[in-house]
Amino acid sequence: MAELSLEELKNLKADKVIDARGMSCPGPLLAVKKSIAEVPSGGVMEVLSSDEGTRRDVPAWAKKMNHSYLGDIEEAGYWRIFVKTR
Amino acid sequence: MADKLSMTVMTGSVDRLIGMAILAGGAVAMDMEVEIFLQLWGAYAFKKDVIKENMNLSEFKEKGEQVVKRMKELNLPMWFDILKQAKDSGAVKIYACSTACTLWDVKKEDLEMVDDILGAGEWLLKSKDAAITLFI
Repeated sequence: MAELSLEELKNLKADKVIDARGMSCPGPLLAVKKSIAEVPSGGVMEVLSSDEGTRRDVPAWAKKMNHSYLGDIEEAGYWRIFVKTR
Repeated sequence: MADKLSMTVMTGSVDRLIGMAILAGGAVAMDMEVEIFLQLWGAYAFKKDVIKENMNLSEFKEKGEQVVKRMKELNLPMWFDILKQAKDSGAVKIYACSTACTLWDVKKEDLEMVDDILGAGEWLLKSKDAAITLFI
């Protein structure tokens, strides 16, 4: 699945939001791994992270786990990162 | 080749142990298996009476206080907390070198998070099929 535009991302309703702000690497990614089971198949997970590495780690993780990375939105001091589960 | 990170840990320095724990956590998050072998100072740093007291740094020692202060400000977890989280979240096995255990006169129970005590031969066979092997 292709990445979404910023406008599409902004209108996206996540099935599960993980707030990992303030966590250092690899905390956010471990939180993602833990929470993914709670997202229904084909659902959207939104990860909030203030760690810059996470916005690159999550797409790499999604690719490995066969989920779809949808893109991210940069906010003040953190990122909103979107993944659609397989 | 197994989707596995294999780390031989000789060091007992906190800075290097932080790096090791972050890689272990990252590997678990990426759904990789992790195996760790503790040699001399590595085994010493996992002793129950040492693990939390250890402030030994391998480099830029004059920066030590500054680093610790900054870590507290940022509320960063200690290396053993990162490793514990990795162990609780995935397949992480920690082994201690039998010679190191004899030297420090410790049993498995005297070491934090250690699953078993191994010899070098068995460890090398375990490492042989790991996709990533590191010496720290």
